[in-house]
Amino acid sequence: MIQPKVVEVDDLVKVYPNGVRAVSNISFNIAPGEFIGLLGPNGSGKSTVIKILSTLIRKTSGKVMVAGYNIDQHPEAVRQHIGVALQDVGLDDLSTARDFLFLQGLLYGLNRNAARQKVNELLELVGLTSVAGRKVGTYSGGMRRRIDLVSALMHDPVIIFLDEPTTGLDPQSRLNIWEYLRQLNRNGKTILLTTQLMQEADLLCRRIAILDLGKIVTAGTPEELKREVGGDIITVSIDSLNPSDRKAAIEKAGSIVKNLDYVLNTAALEDRLNITVREGGKVVADILRLLQDHRIIVSNLSLSGPTLDDVFLKYTGRNIRAEETAGGAANQAVRSLLRVGRR
Amino acid sequence: MSLLKQIYYLIVRDLNVRFKRPATFIPALFISGFFFLAFGYAFQSFTRLPGFPTTNYIAFLTPFILLQSMVFSSGDAGFSILTDILSGYFDKLLLTPINRFSILFASLFTASLRALIQALLIISLAVGLGVSFSTGIPGILAVIWFATTFGVAWSCIGIAVALLTRNAEATQSYFVLFFPAVFLTTGFVPLELLPGWFQTLARINPVTYVMNAARDIVVQGWTGTVLTGLIVLAAFTVVLMGVTTWIFRRSTA
Repeated sequence: MIQPKVVEVDDLVKVYPNGVRAVSNISFNIAPGEFIGLLGPNGSGKSTVIKILSTLIRKTSGKVMVAGYNIDQHPEAVRQHIGVALQDVGLDDLSTARDFLFLQGLLYGLNRNAARQKVNELLELVGLTSVAGRKVGTYSGGMRRRIDLVSALMHDPVIIFLDEPTTGLDPQSRLNIWEYLRQLNRNGKTILLTTQLMQEADLLCRRIAILDLGKIVTAGTPEELKREVGGDIITVSIDSLNPSDRKAAIEKAGSIVKNLDYVLNTAALEDRLNITVREGGKVVADILRLLQDHRIIVSNLSLSGPTLDDVFLKYTGRNIRAEETAGGAANQAVRSLLRVGRR
Repeated sequence: MSLLKQIYYLIVRDLNVRFKRPATFIPALFISGFFFLAFGYAFQSFTRLPGFPTTNYIAFLTPFILLQSMVFSSGDAGFSILTDILSGYFDKLLLTPINRFSILFASLFTASLRALIQALLIISLAVGLGVSFSTGIPGILAVIWFATTFGVAWSCIGIAVALLTRNAEATQSYFVLFFPAVFLTTGFVPLELLPGWFQTLARINPVTYVMNAARDIVVQGWTGTVLTGLIVLAAFTVVLMGVTTWIFRRSTA
């Protein structure tokens, strides 16, 4: 017997009224019990996919089935079976956490007793029982996330959609949320999560689709994806006061190592060179010596197994955190100015 | 779950989070009391004008006070929805399996409850200031109905602006409508005593007809003007509710 799918997305397209094609012919399926990640940078279409699947916005074309219901024909049935936590939490600040969750339960059709019981259970799960009588508006960012997350669980949905559930959280809160999500999945909940954090996708998800510019560029288990990179990554940082000197040095380093027989691929980034090699441990000394022979001053060199970032880089030629890198470059420019000033 | 139950839950929430603070009513009551004092006594001698329908100016002014307070507070419903939109709670409601119109209905119900309480308070104030209704208790009930319905109709405008703009400044700025709506009417003197151009503007303003109807109930009796006002108010309400429902549907699907 073929296992029924919880989500079936076939050739999904979303073009916004302003002409932006946010989602371009995406197809994927989710089986019961899976923990799936959509990994991609800002603007890759992750949130749009979540909003379409949870019936908040309409798709342009394609076919989407959620929990066995067509999202166009039975949106209310779809909503009854899904739990959604959007990127921006949606709380009623003037209400207490307990009242807020209780009302969620009632609106999902629970009777008063069942709703009360579920509220207690979920408050316990996220460790907020002792502050449940306080107004949500007085909560910290981490607490708000936790309440928002469990508000999606009041009605025991068959699948949970989470749009960047840990964005903007401090590391401790992030770890907490990760632990709840793992626990939920262990207890049989199907989860679809979007994130721009490689680590988050890697740690939590058993299957990942990498999105870029509204398309799925590759998909598989984290291990499969990293294997696609085909080797280890040697990262060579070159520190130079002058960005153009640095760029030249990075490019020169790239051309030096590119044709070595154990080098699979090179990628020149803002302040560093990523070299994909076979058997990194054996060749790292060789590469360092070669660069020194060409008078390239290496400020830092590291060897690592491939990460999902390398997978993204391989398929798109860009770093997934491009915005952050740009910010980093600006910081560096400020720092070099300061250094000049001190002389 | 039935639609009524959904609406009921949302109304209870509205009442709980916003309504149980009596402060909600203070601005509208303050301005009403102020107008009673400022205009009610300042313009008392208008009643000596030939053709003025009553000798009690406070009674003449009562419909004005009622209707202006409805327009004054009509932004509340829009702001409640806007607050939910901006906090993300509106989306959270859209994600639940409820009929989405129950959000709009609950909001309109809360608005009508607020209008009703306001009308009761103002009429008590008027009676306390010596206004006696020529039509007795049925007249008082009729005026309450006129004022409440009028308040709900205006609340529709606030909700529509909030849904269309999703922006606090814009939702705030529709308040400027208050001035022409309330002052370009027969609020202070009967139509016949207004200058010609003002008469024209007052005749275009639907508020005038509601005002005249309520006034006749207070100072004269069940005249034909009351029927005209009833028809104008019904049409005004149906149009605004229809447009707001259409905007609500468009912005939630």
